[in-house]
Amino acid sequence: MNDEKSISWKKLQEKWLTRRNLIRGAAGTAAGAGLLLGSGLRLPALADDEDEGHRDRCKAVPRPITHISTPPGAHFFFPGPVDASPTTSPNTGHDPSVITDFSGMIANADLIFSGVGTDLNTGMSASYDFHADMRFMDGVFVGLDSERHRATIGFI
Amino acid sequence: MWAAPYPAGSGKVNVSGGTAELLVHNACVFDAFTVPNSFDPTHALGIFSAIINSMKIEWSGVTRSVPGFSDATNKFRGDFFECSATIAVSATTPKDTGHGFHFESNPATTHTNFAQFGTEHSGMFF
Repeated sequence: MNDEKSISWKKLQEKWLTRRNLIRGAAGTAAGAGLLLGSGLRLPALADDEDEGHRDRCKAVPRPITHISTPPGAHFFFPGPVDASPTTSPNTGHDPSVITDFSGMIANADLIFSGVGTDLNTGMSASYDFHADMRFMDGVFVGLDSERHRATIGFI
Repeated sequence: MWAAPYPAGSGKVNVSGGTAELLVHNACVFDAFTVPNSFDPTHALGIFSAIINSMKIEWSGVTRSVPGFSDATNKFRGDFFECSATIAVSATTPKDTGHGFHFESNPATTHTNFAQFGTEHSGMFF
């Protein structure tokens, strides 16, 4: 399945639509075009729950999986079955986690959904279709500091 | 790598019950506007602080189980369960950034391309 689904993901990527173009293009229509929430909203840092309250300490940073999917050249596999063929599906499926040296629970979801986006400056609203790759890893990881940490890590 | 800490208990997996849930409130994120701008290390279009006001993802309805899977090449193993999922998300880029934007999803529209949950042990835990 995953080659096909990966192609779907790539098609959405290739639209390269800006939010503003989307508002203009989608206003008055039943649905907008694709926008990848997961890549449009980036998170800045990693931390572990154990360090909360220790503001003089750097947060623990998990080690990313070694695999790099290119494009975009980042340490993750696109969503798909863990037992996908490495020959026909080298970048889709396999490890759903984006961190290694990890033990715990995982969940991931490659979703398409709709909603209403509003430009807060103009008040103009339009329907949007979003395509999002959301994941979380909850458990123990050994970070770049070689220490064990317990945390819930999100991939968004 | 777009990863960040969520508060403890945000994500729950119930393997025996065939469900999982992620519930996040007030998560600070960045709004990079477009996919390529997000990948661009220079963020030529700009990048602004934003907030996920709330996000709830629910996994259920197992359609395929892959128990006892092991991948020596990628050094991970575990029990995995493919299923469906729904998402409800509300996100805002504050107006004071000059790029004010708010998105409110309709969970009923969720289409699952792929979803799964499970247990995993990787790297030195492989």
